[in-house]
Amino acid sequence: MTLTAELRDILGHDRVLSEPLERWVYGIDSGVVRGDAELVAFPETTAEVASIVGLARHYRTPIVARGAGTGLAGGAVPTQPGLVVVLTKMNSVEIDEENATAWVGPGVINLDLSKQTEPLGYHFAPDPSSQSACTIGGNIANNSGGPHCLAEGSTVSHVLALEMVTADGDVVMLGGPAPDPVGLDLRGVVVGSEGTLGIITKALVRLTPNPPDVRTLLTAFASVEDAAATVSGIIARGVVPAALEMMDQRMTQAVERFVSAGFPTDAAAVLLAEVTGLSAAVEAEAAIVEEVAGQNNATTIRVAADEAERARLWLGRKSAFGAVAQAAPDYYLHDTVVPRTKLVETMTRVYEIADRYGIMMLNVFHAGDGNLHPLMAFDSEEEGMLDRVKEAARELVEICVDVGGSLSGEHGIGIEKRDLMKLVFNEADLDAQARVRESFDPDEMFNPDKILPAGSRCFDLGRPPLEGMWV
Amino acid sequence: MTSVRSALDGLPGQVDPIDGAPDADATVAPSSFEEIEAVLDAASEHHLRTLIWGGGSHQGYGGRLDPVVVLSTANLNRFVDFQPEDLTVTVEAGVLVEDLEAHLEQHGLTAALPETPGTATVGGVVAAGISGWRRARYGPTRERLLEVTLITGDGRKVRGGGRVVKNVTGFDLPRLATGSFGSLGLIGQVCLKLWPLPPAKATVMASDGDAALATAFRPQAVVEMGGSARVFLGGTPEEVEGQASAIGGEVVDGWNWPGELAGEVQWSLRVPPSKVRTAINEVNAKYEYQAALGVGEILIGGPDGDVQALRTWAESVGGALVLVAGPAELYERIDPWGTPPPALSLQKRIVQRFDPVRILNPGRLPGGL
Amino acid sequence: MAWVTPEAPTRSELSACIQCGLCLPQCPTFRLTGMESASPRGRLMVMSAVAGGQAELNDVFDDLMSFCLQCRACEVVCPSMVPFGRAMEGARIEIAAQLPSPLRRLRRLITGRWIGSVRVMRSVTRIARMVQRNVPARWLPRQIKTSIGGLRPLPKKPLSTIGSTFAPVEPAGAGVAAVLAGCVMDPWFAEVHEATVQVLRRSGYRVVVPDGQTCCGALAAHDGDVLGTRRLARQNVKAFVSADLIVTDAAGCGAHLKEYGNWAGDAGVILASKVKDVTEIVAEAIADGRLPHLEVPRGKVAIQDPCHLRHAQRIVEEPRQIVAAAGYEPVEIDEDGMCCGAAGMYSVLQPAASDELGRKKADQVRASGSTLVASANPGCEIQLRGHLGGAYRVAHPVELYWEALQAADADTVGWSSAGEGNR
Repeated sequence: MTLTAELRDILGHDRVLSEPLERWVYGIDSGVVRGDAELVAFPETTAEVASIVGLARHYRTPIVARGAGTGLAGGAVPTQPGLVVVLTKMNSVEIDEENATAWVGPGVINLDLSKQTEPLGYHFAPDPSSQSACTIGGNIANNSGGPHCLAEGSTVSHVLALEMVTADGDVVMLGGPAPDPVGLDLRGVVVGSEGTLGIITKALVRLTPNPPDVRTLLTAFASVEDAAATVSGIIARGVVPAALEMMDQRMTQAVERFVSAGFPTDAAAVLLAEVTGLSAAVEAEAAIVEEVAGQNNATTIRVAADEAERARLWLGRKSAFGAVAQAAPDYYLHDTVVPRTKLVETMTRVYEIADRYGIMMLNVFHAGDGNLHPLMAFDSEEEGMLDRVKEAARELVEICVDVGGSLSGEHGIGIEKRDLMKLVFNEADLDAQARVRESFDPDEMFNPDKILPAGSRCFDLGRPPLEGMWV
Repeated sequence: MTSVRSALDGLPGQVDPIDGAPDADATVAPSSFEEIEAVLDAASEHHLRTLIWGGGSHQGYGGRLDPVVVLSTANLNRFVDFQPEDLTVTVEAGVLVEDLEAHLEQHGLTAALPETPGTATVGGVVAAGISGWRRARYGPTRERLLEVTLITGDGRKVRGGGRVVKNVTGFDLPRLATGSFGSLGLIGQVCLKLWPLPPAKATVMASDGDAALATAFRPQAVVEMGGSARVFLGGTPEEVEGQASAIGGEVVDGWNWPGELAGEVQWSLRVPPSKVRTAINEVNAKYEYQAALGVGEILIGGPDGDVQALRTWAESVGGALVLVAGPAELYERIDPWGTPPPALSLQKRIVQRFDPVRILNPGRLPGGL
Repeated sequence: MAWVTPEAPTRSELSACIQCGLCLPQCPTFRLTGMESASPRGRLMVMSAVAGGQAELNDVFDDLMSFCLQCRACEVVCPSMVPFGRAMEGARIEIAAQLPSPLRRLRRLITGRWIGSVRVMRSVTRIARMVQRNVPARWLPRQIKTSIGGLRPLPKKPLSTIGSTFAPVEPAGAGVAAVLAGCVMDPWFAEVHEATVQVLRRSGYRVVVPDGQTCCGALAAHDGDVLGTRRLARQNVKAFVSADLIVTDAAGCGAHLKEYGNWAGDAGVILASKVKDVTEIVAEAIADGRLPHLEVPRGKVAIQDPCHLRHAQRIVEEPRQIVAAAGYEPVEIDEDGMCCGAAGMYSVLQPAASDELGRKKADQVRASGSTLVASANPGCEIQLRGHLGGAYRVAHPVELYWEALQAADADTVGWSSAGEGNR
């Protein structure tokens, strides 16, 4: 027997892809690194996933779990020839209105869940720009964020329990529907582990009540500094808006070409602020946003007049990455986070780098979180360009780390940022992370080569355990 | 190899025994991570069971321990880094929750840690995974732990997370550390995400807790005790006023948090939010309780006897009945945690890799880990 | 050997895709299968692999491309504005060039040649009528079961409007509207043509159906038949050369005519610039008062958006405005405007996927609570009727407007709907 034949025994012929062209499309996600998907399987049940894991273990084949493949760090790329397990067919939704939660399959599309719960007055709070396409399984793997995570927290804050298939092929339940499940918070560490600890087959997620009132304000500035000062100013006034998003001029122009949302294309920076809640609070907070923007020389302050205008503004914001394709054929994107107070300093230095390397740089980011998305647009056919981009990217990350920042706020480390981990963590830190990984998956069967640079597990276990100390 | 006695004598930061702590051969209160590394290294070498002691507030959780060494965090009490504009603060483990919140309040901020902390330390609250009532609004404490520095059982200082409010850079050690009861390592330092304190605060004394919960829009907390409820509101003055009148009932300025629960024996009953009413009906007549409506935690004073039926029910709905405080003999009769979590072998493998000799609070976690 | 024809997907078309994946949920076949290779992004990736020589153009490539409905829903949400429809047509031309087969030759004969002949279409209509009246549905092969079941009752003597002229209803002055008769619209959907002609007249247009015109060629283009598509396009360019406004009442035809630039050079570009869907014209006439808003309430109508109206031509509001002006309450059935699965010859070539999409669409209609559906494309109409069954009526929005207008006329003394047409 072969792995292919055994998989087909379980899943049937059509749910196992082995043709080169069909596999080709699973060699890459929304990032830039391509790998080799040897086989692609589409389970529909937890039991099938467990069987697949058992088979893969038997054949010593690495497994990469995949949702919609919208990740930007190569997290779903098979770095070694192996099996890609696609979870898009596991997309059941069971809503528990009483507890404002839902059991969802990993293949449920983020926005689909919010659409389903909308009539009940709830939504799923994490709203990455790819939310119309990305799956909740992928959100969990990357601890995805989105504009509205400023006030609501990233995905991890919205996951109560996970059903997971372990490296041994066992099905375990992590967390639960009640607060503070006893024992170590394995659910918390599996969220954001980018598919390296197990395959999630079901998740209990929290639903967030839709706000009774929403106000979206578009403000524009003649300088990035003014916009950034507005961000800090709003927070300093004790207001944590539902979202605070910034776009620089180049980005605004690219976006405006795709969707005429009415972003002022002559402004150096556009700041999108959304306040939600009870009308009284929304009113007061919107007034503060307007006031602070005014104090910081805003050239435009506009409140979205209706739901349609609001939707257009957000569509513009969420189409930003795609819109860049009009600027140049290729792009490379980072996802660093810096302390909010370091925004201006960081941005200035980021632009300097771009100028120095002669690369077009666009910025669109979650300003409220200090989560930057500096984006370099270029043509990879241009002589030496790719090397320049890589150099510039490294410098950029170093700058962000230098001001106390971090490599990724919501996209994950995947393969693309893996070797940069050493900029943030020392040997002992990485070793500790490797120990976590080893506890779940000692043979690195799940998504090998991701997150941790090679050689991270660099220390011995120390002393051998004493007999009898362990129960 | 030195003898155990001389190893004990050589531990840095020796202090007198701590009031309330179990008897031990040595009590230390190191004042630096290096000293802690030295203590844990020696403890690992000589297999010295070590009890970590913060403020002593949450020592009632989990299995009892007969320690050789008591390791106090009392001298790890520095404010390391406070960035009000970034809404982050970094403190050492031994800083008192009360001191931290008082300091933050001067800047109009809060870490939303337990509101009536007593002697609890920040490290203790994190290690025990304790949250304040305001988790109803801001989520549990673990959601605000941005960065953690651990000194692992085998004496290595490791850092996880980062001092930024949003981060997916590697495996989430801060989450894993929260509620770990020191089993992975001593929590030496943490960075917490902060929230602005609302400009107006009020407490509404409501007669019907469920109705109040349904009426209030994302209140700070709704706590029911003895048949009536307190709704904690925060926001702009107009918002608070509007909400208070919609809920109805006597309005008190500020937040009037529940006091300490009476009774030598205390339990934390954890159920899905929809089961809180059933839970209250179970305990209402017999015991004093404080129930976090919309959250699902009910603190109960008593019972000291047979809890099996209540525990079986709680576990059947996906929750737990956890012993929080009680006389030593109760811990011998009843497992303080109840049924261990389903992924116990995974839990064990993780603990094994951070504390290979198992010297840190052994037996404290569910399943006797 | 990568590509062999000049129509192949170009590098700039393919590299415009940055693989963001926003197209995935909009793609009906991705929704059906959950498979990347059945998504726009996956298909572009596969095309790129062939273009770059990393993969062969083989039968698998053919299967993957043929599974696409060419509904172009992906284009609407694509922030990189990838011309997916064009790239897919290019890919199919490559398949036709590199993988010749007897079946493909037969299809080329049908969609590239016979379809353009009024005489052949008459014969086809007569045969189809016989089948429609005499053969129980259960005896029909799966490929045509829904289509036959979904047809309007076919006429005994199929007529053609080609060559007719209709004078405007006064006050005239809107100009001349040259109507595309179409291949199946003419013999099978005479009521829609009638409504189109009459409503255009009432809007003040002189209506002509120019001689010498033929099938638009959309089906041939979707099948990768370059020569057939060009031949049909050239013939239409000639037939419509003197027209200032070209009107079609079939969304699929309109979408294709608007892209004649790809098939008939500069003359094609010129023709394309004059093309309007009838719903655009009628909605405009309603908006500027040449056609009345009718007050009599007529109940609900479910709006089905043909892909080639909504996605390809980006016409969304007009059908709704028209039925609303007729007195109906338009009911939305699907906010994404997902394809019904008809997709030209798709229902014949991919019956399983087509049926599943058809069933879903029918369920959406049923859920709307309306037994009347407005659809501005013949293929969608057949698919909907086939899947909904006899209890539901499917009609063109302009047809609904014309009926309402006639009813209003009957109530108004002094009005006559009789024109001075010379058909």
